[in-house]
Amino acid sequence: MGIVIGAGLALATGLAPARAQQSASEDLSQLSIEQLANLSITTVSKVAQPLSDAAAPVYVISQDDIAHSGATSIPEMLRLAPNLEVMQTSPSAYTITSRGLNGNSTAQNFPNKLLVLIDGRSVYSPLYSGVYWDMQDVLPENIERIEVVSGPGGTLWGANAVNGVINIVTRKAADTSGGFVELGGGDYAASAALQYGGALDSDLNYRVYAKTFYDRAFDNGSGNAHDGWGKPQGGFRLDWSPGQDMLTLSGDLYSGAQAQAGATNQDISGGNLTAHWSHPLGDGEALQLQVYYDSATRFSAGNGAFTLNTYDVEAQHNFRIGSWNSIVWGIGDRIAQYRITPRIATDSSLLWAPAARTLNLANLFAEDHIPLGSRVELTVGLKLENDPYSGISPMPSGRLSWKVDNNDLVWAAASHAVRSPTPFDTDVVEDLGAIKYLTGNSHFLPEQVTAYELGYRGQLGPDVSASLSLFDDMYDDLRSVELTPITVVPLYWGNKIRGEVYGLEAWASWQATDWWRLSAGFNQQQENMRFAPGAAQVLGTAQVGDDPHHQASLRSTMIFDAVSFDADLRDVGMLANPKVPEYVELNSRLGWKVSPMLDISISGYNLLHARHLEYVTGAQDWIPRSFFIDTKWRF
Amino acid sequence: MRTARLVCAVVLLAACVAGAVSADISLEYAIRAAYLAKFAPFIEWPDSAFATPGAAINICILGSDPFGAALDRAAASVTGGRPLLVRRLASPELASACQILYLANNEAAASLPAGLSERPVVTVSEAGGAGMIAFVVDGNHVRFDIDDDAAQHSGIHISSKLLSLAHAVKHKAAAP
Repeated sequence: MGIVIGAGLALATGLAPARAQQSASEDLSQLSIEQLANLSITTVSKVAQPLSDAAAPVYVISQDDIAHSGATSIPEMLRLAPNLEVMQTSPSAYTITSRGLNGNSTAQNFPNKLLVLIDGRSVYSPLYSGVYWDMQDVLPENIERIEVVSGPGGTLWGANAVNGVINIVTRKAADTSGGFVELGGGDYAASAALQYGGALDSDLNYRVYAKTFYDRAFDNGSGNAHDGWGKPQGGFRLDWSPGQDMLTLSGDLYSGAQAQAGATNQDISGGNLTAHWSHPLGDGEALQLQVYYDSATRFSAGNGAFTLNTYDVEAQHNFRIGSWNSIVWGIGDRIAQYRITPRIATDSSLLWAPAARTLNLANLFAEDHIPLGSRVELTVGLKLENDPYSGISPMPSGRLSWKVDNNDLVWAAASHAVRSPTPFDTDVVEDLGAIKYLTGNSHFLPEQVTAYELGYRGQLGPDVSASLSLFDDMYDDLRSVELTPITVVPLYWGNKIRGEVYGLEAWASWQATDWWRLSAGFNQQQENMRFAPGAAQVLGTAQVGDDPHHQASLRSTMIFDAVSFDADLRDVGMLANPKVPEYVELNSRLGWKVSPMLDISISGYNLLHARHLEYVTGAQDWIPRSFFIDTKWRF
Repeated sequence: MRTARLVCAVVLLAACVAGAVSADISLEYAIRAAYLAKFAPFIEWPDSAFATPGAAINICILGSDPFGAALDRAAASVTGGRPLLVRRLASPELASACQILYLANNEAAASLPAGLSERPVVTVSEAGGAGMIAFVVDGNHVRFDIDDDAAQHSGIHISSKLLSLAHAVKHKAAAP
């Protein structure tokens, strides 16, 4: 449940005031309260990684990071996390994963091991476990933070958190009051947004927004790929805080269109309504309840369509036993009702049998935080997930954290998670002319991962914070392609690939001067996959993922009074199969606060080369160099 | 400071470690200490909160002290009106003798005696705590939210000037 982690990973440091700012307090006595409120604090520990007690590799992308990076869409914001792989393949399509296993389009293996949540609402598709990134959009202005947890967080976060969890948290309505207008344009994109927030009463705040954009097509090996797209969206949020309670109601509606080469547009539309209630009961005890409805439709005339309606209810209770043992437990149920009209994608031979289903995914979890002494904490948790195809899967997790001193935390974790079978695994039927070529497998097993992780997080000096995690993820029952005995076709999905991915993730942040901050990130991984005995070994183990062995990034943020300058350099290693060369690229942004009400910025993306390739799938576009001028007016 | 360290080493009070080990604190906490002292001139307590017209305003800390000497220096630098006195509370029962009470953590907040919310004590906590004034970190600034409803309920009048400087204010619901 995304709601727990949101509460647990508070951004305020509140800890470790042990390093010097010589005579800081003597200088401050001369300042007025207004001047105190405008002082910039050395927020190293807040920038990339707060010294929270979370025994997991968590990277937090803050609202500041997003504003300075010039990112306008969620996938571009996710490039800021050093523990994610983000590859763009068209103006609207991205392949995103954590710790490898990004799949392979020839094997129809799409990245399907991430749990993505927006304010607790799960946005991965229950049809194939992947995420339609072109259907998820939040106004960058409204994002409070994005928490990226790599590794299996299955116990607490929710279903599908096999390789990681991305939790997008939006700001409270009270924090986005007033009017906001954004207008931007560049050589590849144009956008506009309008938002207004206010208070209906002393404890009732709201905001309403509308936004739209258009991204024009990229080029690929065949010339213009004709894959431009646009998507108007609108929504609202209402926060009511009677007493200690907090009630939030939010909703969005969108309807966009994507051009397709040689075909009519693909229409994507949908909406959602979420209600969240949190009720503190005093003494560290609290109750949370969340209900949401989500509807998504993709339609392409003559090529296929699906509609998906999701109804979800989750409840969570946390309390203490005695003065030290704190327990969180919860229960939830999700009903996904979908209907697929004959074809789902531009591939005209893809069918689903049955074409409509209602899936019921239920879960029960409990987690106990047990302090062992004043500096060590043990967390044990278990999630039981009941999916419509394979019954109950247990997902245990154990984590240990040791706060060595006020500035250093060492942690270790062992967890097990599963990716439940989806309709794509069980119901798909693909024809090649008159021949039934490939089918799903009604006995498809959940894919498994057992992860062992070790990490360190801390402040290395007054202005430097760092985080390092080592991981060894062992996979089993990964999807493979098997042959029917004797007749060979139809091929069917099996579970005969297993292996491991091991590596490290590291990041650090250095506040070099008052106005200059440097951040660096690095990850390295080694994937060893093999077939289980009896496998047909079709397509080889490369089908599991086409991942870079390493990625590195260096980001510089300079903030002067009214001017800020950001540069973000990234190096993504070579992809082996299909081959994509290693590339180095640079994004940059210059921002100017003309007045307290007006911000102007100019951003350049992918500046080092006229174009470069990031991944081979679908449109396989070349990602071009582009620029964007943005104005934001607040009133 | 050396004497304090010796006492702490002997007595092994957990509260001593944070304050006495290092005389210098981060800017974040120095700002909070400065705020605690500077709030005092903007707050009016009922006369019943003080024993005598010259009695000091007590700024108390409940829980482990994150400020150390910085708070004492900040309190000494605010002149005019009643003097400010910094006290580190050994137990929550003494909370009602304070005029400003800083709650260092959730345990401190949970240990407050029932009925304190009726007394003229300005509670100050971190974001998410239940203090009348809560420190929040907004972007890279340390600011504060004020719950004026709770303040008025306790008989405390917070000047509108301080309310206007706050990051967010929870007002008393207007009477019909």
